[in-house]
Amino acid sequence: MSDLQYKYIGKPADRVDALEKVTGAAKYVGDYYLPDMLYARALRSELPHARIKHLDTRPALNVPGVIAVITSEDFIDHGRFGFPVKDHFALAFEKVRYVGQAIAAVAAETPEAALNGVKAIICELEPLPGVFDMDHALDPDAPQVGFEREDHKHPNFLDMSPVYKGDPDEVLKDCPVVLHEEYRTVHQEHSYLETEGALAIPTSDGGVTVYCNNQSPFITKGNLVAVLGLDPIKVRVIQPHVGGSFGGKDDLNYLTACQVAALALKAKRPVRMTFSREESMIASYKRDAMHMRITLGADKDGTLRACKAIHTLDSGAYSSQSPFTAWRASIHAMGAYRYDAVKVEVTSVYTNNGFSGAFRGFGNTEACFGIESAIDELAEKLGMDPIDFRLKNCLRVGDVTPHGQKLTESVGLVECLETVRKLSDWDRKRAEYARQTSQDTRCGIGVAVLFHGTSLGAEGVDCATNTIEILPDYSVACASGLTDYGQGPRTVYTLITAEELGISPERVRILLADTDTAIDSGPTVASRSTILAGNAMRVAAQTLARTLNFAAADMLKCEPQRVMRIGEAYVGPNEEPVSWEKVVDHARSMGLVLSAHGKWSAPEIHWDHHKGTGTPYFGYHFAAQVAEVQVDLRIGKTQVLNIWAAHDTGKVIFPQGALGQVYGGITQGLGYALMEEAIYADGYLQSVNFDTYLIPTSMDVPDMTARFVETNFSPGPYGAKNIAEPAMVPTAPAIVNAIYHATGKRIRVLPADLERVALGKSLHKRGSPVSCKVGLKVK
Amino acid sequence: MMKEMDYIRPNSIEEAVQILSDPGRRGKLLAGGTDLLVQKRVDPPDYDCFVDISRLSEIQQIRVSDGVFYLGAGVTHAVIAQDPLILKYVSFLAQACLSVGSPQIRNTGTLGGNVANAAACADSLPALVCLDAVAHLRSKRGERQMLVTELVKGPHETALETDELITHFTFLQPPPGVKTHFIKIGRRNAQSISRLSIAAMGRKDKNGNVDFIRICPGAATPRTMRFTEVETYLMGKQACEELYVDAGQRMAARMVEITGVRWSTEYKEVALKAITERVLREVLG
Ligand SMILES: Cc1cc2nc3c(=O)[nH]c(=O)nc-3n(C[C@H](O)[C@H](O)[C@H](O)COP(=O)(O)OP(=O)(O)OC[C@H]3O[C@@H](n4cnc5c(N)ncnc54)[C@H](O)[C@@H]3O)c2cc1C
Repeated sequence: MSDLQYKYIGKPADRVDALEKVTGAAKYVGDYYLPDMLYARALRSELPHARIKHLDTRPALNVPGVIAVITSEDFIDHGRFGFPVKDHFALAFEKVRYVGQAIAAVAAETPEAALNGVKAIICELEPLPGVFDMDHALDPDAPQVGFEREDHKHPNFLDMSPVYKGDPDEVLKDCPVVLHEEYRTVHQEHSYLETEGALAIPTSDGGVTVYCNNQSPFITKGNLVAVLGLDPIKVRVIQPHVGGSFGGKDDLNYLTACQVAALALKAKRPVRMTFSREESMIASYKRDAMHMRITLGADKDGTLRACKAIHTLDSGAYSSQSPFTAWRASIHAMGAYRYDAVKVEVTSVYTNNGFSGAFRGFGNTEACFGIESAIDELAEKLGMDPIDFRLKNCLRVGDVTPHGQKLTESVGLVECLETVRKLSDWDRKRAEYARQTSQDTRCGIGVAVLFHGTSLGAEGVDCATNTIEILPDYSVACASGLTDYGQGPRTVYTLITAEELGISPERVRILLADTDTAIDSGPTVASRSTILAGNAMRVAAQTLARTLNFAAADMLKCEPQRVMRIGEAYVGPNEEPVSWEKVVDHARSMGLVLSAHGKWSAPEIHWDHHKGTGTPYFGYHFAAQVAEVQVDLRIGKTQVLNIWAAHDTGKVIFPQGALGQVYGGITQGLGYALMEEAIYADGYLQSVNFDTYLIPTSMDVPDMTARFVETNFSPGPYGAKNIAEPAMVPTAPAIVNAIYHATGKRIRVLPADLERVALGKSLHKRGSPVSCKVGLKVK
Repeated sequence: MMKEMDYIRPNSIEEAVQILSDPGRRGKLLAGGTDLLVQKRVDPPDYDCFVDISRLSEIQQIRVSDGVFYLGAGVTHAVIAQDPLILKYVSFLAQACLSVGSPQIRNTGTLGGNVANAAACADSLPALVCLDAVAHLRSKRGERQMLVTELVKGPHETALETDELITHFTFLQPPPGVKTHFIKIGRRNAQSISRLSIAAMGRKDKNGNVDFIRICPGAATPRTMRFTEVETYLMGKQACEELYVDAGQRMAARMVEITGVRWSTEYKEVALKAITERVLREVLG
């Protein structure tokens, strides 16, 4: 598609919030101070599984400076909480299921007094045996973490997501080449720069306004309404600037908002809670860990025939998003390939290992590591080049996916593979590196591909509404329920608005998310903002543009279709150009409404959760990444030298934003591949700060080359798809496949740290509860 | 409200040791603060007054006179890493200091702090120990000297008294022709604690036989020390690949003899062999 068509779409642009963020002017929750504001702190469980025998908060009230204390008794139905499974409470009720779970919360004049209040609470916990190994969570004699189920399944069973096509066991019987292997991924910490926080302000009508660094303010609002029993009209949630999320600012932030709101209503004063890094790491949910068992079968000529993927997902103590994560994992578990037969079953289970929830890639990051490792192993068994093997079997336009969905457009995977093959000089390096004999350091090059369903999929209602209004100073204010916590959608909305109205982006202002000004558009997750709210923004701006065009035609005394634009000005066939301001004035004088709503709904799709077939998503992002590594064979150190990434994003709207997502995604994927591991030992997180939880530094980041394959995606705005999550998904398998190419040693358990690469196994210090216990009481 | 902490910034060594010996307070030397302030967050401090020596120019000098190196305890890692004298004669110390943390940490953290904090993984220790560096200590009671390898008795354990200050370190300029080298293994390329490290000095004579060798692993043993048994074994032998491999095995064996088998031993044995070979190749090759 020609870029000449557009003025702002796909053109270089500044992030709308860059300046205020780099100058420090942008305010985050922790920057808000109000007169009379109290500081809150939660008492958190130091046991992974226990019955609350006795809880007496009165002593806290005797601590100087303490104003209010709450427990689950202060909420309706004990603050029962959770979606899709209501298994959690705003504060622990009867039981705690993980180390770091909030039991009570204190509001006090100073943070120190709040901590002293927390220490004064009498809380007797009776330890219960815990479940720490997901593979034994469903044993008949496993300790019970979850509630009894009505269907009498094991209480630790959460959900099972299947995909079925034909009978792979039959097909495997006549496959001459079969691979069966197991792969494991580990819990990963989101490592957002800004920790969790919320500030609640009681309002004069008995309601509450909450500032919260969440992802989806309408979910916060819904929870506040439910657990506090307030009239929805009296609850307002404002999302200030947010310092990163990566999927990590859902549940715990919603719980925190409920706690500060209850405290604020009780104390009748503003209350703020912001987390220390230790508290954040201990209390927050992580990426789930997954145990994957994969069987693949192929013909001698390299035709993939069958796939079986039987996975277990460790959801930890609560469901959070795990049923959805497991579903997305199941849809992607066989990879972006054609098969005669497929059987996927992803089972999520409860344990007492913290709790797991949403994290960039949402099940596909885990599943992609498994399947892309297995595909690489199978290519080797077949004696085929990994890219050739993928090209032979990968999805193309016209194919029917194993789910039964016919792909009619926007499948750029072949082009992605060919792009990275060329950019990386793949064929030469594959051959050259295969001849290395050094026992010291060797290079390797590896590939991984991905498909990633756009937006929520058949998980739920999928629509968004944006609003637009011209203000008296001729600026344009827009609001969206799909929010910006760092990914950059406010810039995307700005460019779309400028494009459609034919005005300079400087005129456009995207309001920060506020439940009183924006319209609920579902959760800001699943890389859905550009498609959903981008379309909604476009519809809203087009509606307003038509109104202005009508006013301009009236001024220029011509038919509306004859009105042209030169810069921002309007011109007709007969008259001098008139400025945008003049047209706006004229429209107002005509009594026209200079605001609009734009709603966009995703195409309807359906998934049969029992038969494991249907149309899971209305579109897919495709990508291929190649990693080049240098491995020190003796000490096990891997240096990633290069990553080449080709992503079929559809039309790119905001190039710098898209590149930023690719670079950041690769970096986060590199951490997942080589060093990140949130270890739970008997339920205790072993790394509670960034001194021992390692993420890549800028010195670890390789040279990165990104290309966008812009296949047209007709439902997307201007043909756009998405990028935020898919950017990180293929990185870890590409790196680990490159390590194999270099060393001849296959790493099937992440991360590929020093010990795994050098010795083929990990080594860990004996676990200890000390870091958690100290971390929860840090000043 | 209880007061958090006093803070005093003395203008001289004299004044600093005076404050440290004041029975009315429990002073704690604060140099770059890159260890101290981090520790204070989780460990309740056993002191009530910071004695800030970060601007004491008296302890920030580097010089060589009559073949003796004089290195102030207040010199930062960043300064050492680019000091021409260090780079010329004992470049492994510059390598070690350059491997510390990140630019911010190196600009603030000091050599004295690194030694006094006495972490098993402190990156300046192996080079200083190889050099047989002597720490010069001052208190109101007077001066004393101690080998760094003896001053640092074990992880976070030193022979320093609470009223003592390290003013500087001294060591002999290595004999002509002696090469030095330092290798560090970390889990990432910056802000990385040493899993293991090694420092060595070496030279071979005109026949290719080892005629000078000192070797000291870091983060390998509770006390950082030269493996003199291995040095003795190497002395006089023909420098060659087989010798380096042999030395690597001896280093690993000696380490296990000292530490016994721990959770990390299996890896450290393998890795110590590798970096021993590499460091010897650098200094004897
Ligand atoms: C992010 C980060 C990364 C790091 N990376 C590394 C690394 O890669 N390698 C490494 O070795 N270290 C590392 N460190 C640890 C630290 O930076 C070093 O140990 C540094 O050299 C400490 O020096 P300082 O001046 O900051 O000491 P301070 O923190 O000021 O003091 C440390 C201790 O030494 C005492 N002390 C200081 N000066 C004297 C003196 N002259 N006489 C007697 N006692 C004294 C203090 O009282 C205190 O007990 C890192 C630290 C951080 C925070």
